[in-house]
Amino acid sequence: MSKTLKLNGDEVEIVAGESVLELARRMGQEIPSLCHDPRLKAVGACRTCLVEVEGVRRLVPSCATKAEEGIAVTTANARIERHQKALFALYMTDNVDASETDDSSDPSELHALAERVKAPTTWPRMQHKRFQRADDRNPYIEYRADRCILCARCTRYCEEVESVSAITLAGRGAETTIATADARSLLDTTCELCGGCVDVCPTGAMTEKKPLALKLLPARKLEKVRTTCNYCGVGCQMDLNVDRTANNGRGVVAKITSPDAGVLPNDGNLCVKGRFAYQFIDHKDRLTKPLVRNQEGLLEETSWDNALQIAAEGLKKVAKRHGPDSLGFVSSSRCTGEENYLVQKLSRAVFGTHNVHQCAAT
Amino acid sequence: MAANDKREQLLGALHKAGGLTPGAAAKVSAELGVPEAQVYGAGSFYHLLGDSETKLRVCTGLSCAMRGGRKLLALAQDADMPVAECSCLAACDRAPALLKDRSVLVDVTQENVKSAGGDWRNVQGAELADDWNGRVGSNNSELPMNLGGTPSFSGEAFAKAQSIGADEVIAAIDESGLQGRGGAGFPAAIKWGGVRAQEAKPHYVVLNADEGEPGTFKDRELMLRRPDLVLEGLAIAAFCLGAQDVYLYLRGEFTGPWIALEKAIASFSENKLFEGVSFHLHSGHGAYICGEETALLEALEGKRGMPRLKPPFPHENGLWGKPTLIQNVETIACVPAIVLQGGAWFKAMGATEPGTKLYSISGDVKEPGTYELPLGSTLDDVAAAAGGYVGELLAFSPGGASSGFLPASERKRALDFAALSKIGSMLGSAGVVVMNTESDIRELVREQLIFFENESCGQCAPCRIGTRYLREALDRDLQGKPSEQSLGEVAEVAWEMNEGSICGLGQAAALPLTSALQHFPGAFGGEKRK
Repeated sequence: MSKTLKLNGDEVEIVAGESVLELARRMGQEIPSLCHDPRLKAVGACRTCLVEVEGVRRLVPSCATKAEEGIAVTTANARIERHQKALFALYMTDNVDASETDDSSDPSELHALAERVKAPTTWPRMQHKRFQRADDRNPYIEYRADRCILCARCTRYCEEVESVSAITLAGRGAETTIATADARSLLDTTCELCGGCVDVCPTGAMTEKKPLALKLLPARKLEKVRTTCNYCGVGCQMDLNVDRTANNGRGVVAKITSPDAGVLPNDGNLCVKGRFAYQFIDHKDRLTKPLVRNQEGLLEETSWDNALQIAAEGLKKVAKRHGPDSLGFVSSSRCTGEENYLVQKLSRAVFGTHNVHQCAAT
Repeated sequence: MAANDKREQLLGALHKAGGLTPGAAAKVSAELGVPEAQVYGAGSFYHLLGDSETKLRVCTGLSCAMRGGRKLLALAQDADMPVAECSCLAACDRAPALLKDRSVLVDVTQENVKSAGGDWRNVQGAELADDWNGRVGSNNSELPMNLGGTPSFSGEAFAKAQSIGADEVIAAIDESGLQGRGGAGFPAAIKWGGVRAQEAKPHYVVLNADEGEPGTFKDRELMLRRPDLVLEGLAIAAFCLGAQDVYLYLRGEFTGPWIALEKAIASFSENKLFEGVSFHLHSGHGAYICGEETALLEALEGKRGMPRLKPPFPHENGLWGKPTLIQNVETIACVPAIVLQGGAWFKAMGATEPGTKLYSISGDVKEPGTYELPLGSTLDDVAAAAGGYVGELLAFSPGGASSGFLPASERKRALDFAALSKIGSMLGSAGVVVMNTESDIRELVREQLIFFENESCGQCAPCRIGTRYLREALDRDLQGKPSEQSLGEVAEVAWEMNEGSICGLGQAAALPLTSALQHFPGAFGGEKRK
């Protein structure tokens, strides 16, 4: 028999191992959360997902509470609403105004939730400024302390998912911040610039430098286009964030974000190339059409059919005159597994040589 | 050593390296195989490690603030010394105190600072090492802890515990009604039984000697004067729970108690006692929150001292995930007497609740000190033990910063766990601070709020933001702003801090302000202060 618990009075089935937060969301309940990420160990630090469990005096974080048989959970009542309003009101006294959040890499989940729970916005703003460490010369990642809620998603991601541990919570109390050892540039740490910290940040405190510098945001006007990364054969899924109006209507990729955790094969993770090396898309040196040499030996544009025809004829001519082992095939590490397979087929089955290699194989 | 990895040595290694100076994290990281950023993050949490440039720290805890702590601070700053303020140094009976490097100096005068000629090394005061003890009641061998008595290293209680067996010992503690003396008042027997019932092994015993609640210095005195009771209590606990490793976590400023415990361990060892038990002394590095038991465990494991979510509780998931008994110094020191004289005897010593209690009293009384009295004594009783009041009583704080302020009209209330909780206060650590009518309650509330703001671990927003919010709200009041602009949201913020915070610090941190607003409403909303 399946196990059940009571959720807001209704008997509901439990999926083995899930948290109260996961169960409630599965059942369509809206529970706010900021520090939660399914890839990370629950820490219950942001306090936004607190719920009531019957018989437990204090509110409990639903992210860190196992859905156990027989418990009775309430996700919305006057006490929880009062808590949410006051909590978000406090967050708002210690964060930037909602009007400033448009330039974040993603809309601030913090501000959206504050609005959703109708948190008071009139409480006096904190006089004390948050500690901001000095600028970091790395080209990609910027930390803006005045937007940070110290949920530690970035530092936990860096440690638990990437096993890199380049950043850490540092200091204490209201002076707590996100730091590197000795406040060095990310370039002088173990950081691999994967940008996962930017991706998991719910407030835009960790953000990408480039779109800010290019003034390509606000993010809300960007359209997400799902694609497959073409830097290697893994096939990571990623979202191009396209500003259709930019570049005289030709559009521009303003940045790249990860799909949600759970989207395979990369589970929302990207590497430095996938996340940040996208400017080739509109680069002036990028080849967008095939080139062949004309009678004078100069490269000129042609059609794919023609280019392939010329290449095929050339290869066949060499094979005929000098034998198949006079040929060698090297495919690019940017090819997918399927493409690499086709290259070795071309080499072995069509031309009959084992001279085939893939540049990522060594 | 029982450590699962080298991480246990992290904070000690940083201390040895001279604190978190540039390059220290890299060095310790290489030594211990812990990522550098994690070494840095852990070190930066502890003020004595994170800020190694500051050499003098002036206590601005309540009692020291009342005795001119802030003036000392200003004088040292004017003299360009590497100085900062710090939270309570557990020397309230000898206020004002300051920390020079890692030595606590007490009874420091303005002259001591002025005559140092701008060199922090020259600042003098009595030193908290072997050369001074606080004031305690007179020798009375009837008392369970008897601070005025002489240490005994005969191991009589331990021998009896061995002969009657663990079940009998825990039954005696149960009968004694002994409640945790660290602040929460949780029944000790339930903790012992809870750990004992766990199948996972090994079991650990941890001593919480991270005494830092403003106004509290009883554990300091107990370790200085009766380390025998502390160690024998721990050995009995280890015997009952089948534990081999006992961890003693002392705040980093407790040089004197550390030495006293080391000597006492040697004395027991000379008598060939407690041979199956290994005592491991660990130093704190300047973080009040590590007195919270799960934060203490994090610190022992070499991490940032951020409290864990509970449940699970330490009795099932404690040090390195193993069942762990954590007890306050005073709780454990009651155990030998309970074993020797029986639970009923101990229970009968109390007034309104079981046993005797060490009350540390400071502020406006004639003889500040630590007095062992029946649990449930009134303020008048405790003040009488301390030679009587100085001036006319205005207010008192019954059990540290977390207990808030009470008016003089509560002077006859039993200072026990239940009676104080009934009026929204708490016995806490029974660090009683007495204020007379010369005191400015608003300024004293501000000191307590600053304390919590400085000592919040920063992990959760209700506490991290709330403590600072309240201090800024009070500052607006002190600037003479109308109350709707200053204290308007205080009640709601206080409510949220209590409901939303992870641990007891945040849950209680609004009490100094809310209790003062309740009992001394006329003190607020006044003229601008300078």
